[in-house]
This record gives sequence, structure tokens and C-alpha cells, in this order.
Amino acid sequence: MLNWVYWAIIAAGITGVLAGWIGKWIPFYGNYVKILQPVGIVLLVLGVWLRGGYDTEMSWRAKVAEAEARVAAAEQKSQETNTVIEQQVVEKTKVIKGKTEYITQYLDREVVKKEEIIKYIEQCPVPKEIIDIHNQAADLNKAAEGKK
Amino acid sequence: MKYALLILAVFLAACSTPVPVSQRFPDVPKALVERCESLRKIEGDKVAITEMLKVVVQNYGMYYECAAKVDGWNDWYQEQKRIYESVK
Repeated sequence: MLNWVYWAIIAAGITGVLAGWIGKWIPFYGNYVKILQPVGIVLLVLGVWLRGGYDTEMSWRAKVAEAEARVAAAEQKSQETNTVIEQQVVEKTKVIKGKTEYITQYLDREVVKKEEIIKYIEQCPVPKEIIDIHNQAADLNKAAEGKK
Repeated sequence: MKYALLILAVFLAACSTPVPVSQRFPDVPKALVERCESLRKIEGDKVAITEMLKVVVQNYGMYYECAAKVDGWNDWYQEQKRIYESVK
């Protein structure tokens, strides 16, 4: 709608400018030439300015719409990527937990029943120093955090 | 008339206003923000080798669980960076 209004202003401006020119040779009309020409020029300038502004506005709106569409597509893709990565991590964690559980159960169920193992456990308890070294190593993160 | 044409040329340029379109910072999957557990210690002074081994196995498991999260963070960063840069 606005587009047509601007075109109408431009058309009125051109009409005014042309009427100002041609009007010189028309006897009665010639009296209005001095008024019509400046009015036509003003209308033409105003119309072109408004039309230019309108085109720029429309061009920006199109660019914004395009950018918004790209951002929306990226956010959608980002969300999908999150889901895939989360599933991968959850799956890996599940497998690791399961395997850890399996090894621990195998140790309790099979290994401890073997005669040589039973003999070893009875004869060789782990010395306290070894346990302490292991526990210190397990606490290495605290040393890094300055708690030790 | 000359001035009118000059003004016309200037006005044709019209105005331009940059319109910012912001992109939301992507959320991080919940599985990645869980902290890694502390490693288990061996309890007691007189411990059988099998009990010690059990703790070691559990600690290996926890290490690999934590490594999976770190790998997940790396993958997340690489992928999100690629997506972010594809928008520019």
C-alpha cells in the first residue's frame, strides 16, 4: 500500500515538472507554471526519497528474515547435535559401568574360588604401605586443588 | 534543477540501520555437566589382593567414565563451533 502512495507522489511530481515545462506554451495554463514546477520538484524529490527509504527498509527486512531463518536452522541443528552427543556419552558410560560391574562380579564369583588365589590371599595380605601409596595416588586431585 | 538532481542523488541513498540478529548460546547436554567422581580408596589395613584389585577395577571404570565426558565436551565444542560458524 505504502509503495503505491510513494509511486503516486513521484507520479504527481513528474506531472508537476512536465506540466511546468509544457504549460509555458499553453496560454491560460502558463499562469500556474511558476507554482507547478517547484511543487512538482518538491513532490518528485520527496517521492524518490520515500521510495528509496522504503526499498532500503524492505531490503533490510529481507536480510533480517534470512538471518533469522539461518539462526533458527542452526539452533535446531545445535539441539539435534546435543541430543546425539548426550546419547553417545550416556551409552559409553552405560557400557563402561556394565563392564566394570561384570569384571567385579567375575572377580567375586570365579577368581576368588581358585585354589592358588585362595592360598595367595591367605598367605599374602597387601602391606599397609602399598595401600597407603594407592590411596595417596587416588587423592592426587586434592593435591592439585591445594587441599593437601 | 541542478540542485534538485543533486538532492535526488543524495536522497536515493536513503538510510540504513543495522539490525542485530542474536544467536542463542547452545545448552550443554546434562550428561556432560556431571562432575567426575573421586577415585575410591582401599579401606582397612589388612586387605586381600582381590579386594585391592576390585578398587583398582572400579577406579579404572571411573576414569573411563570421566574420559567419555571429556570426549563428549570436545565433540560438543567442535560440532557447536562448526554450526556457529556456518551461520556467519
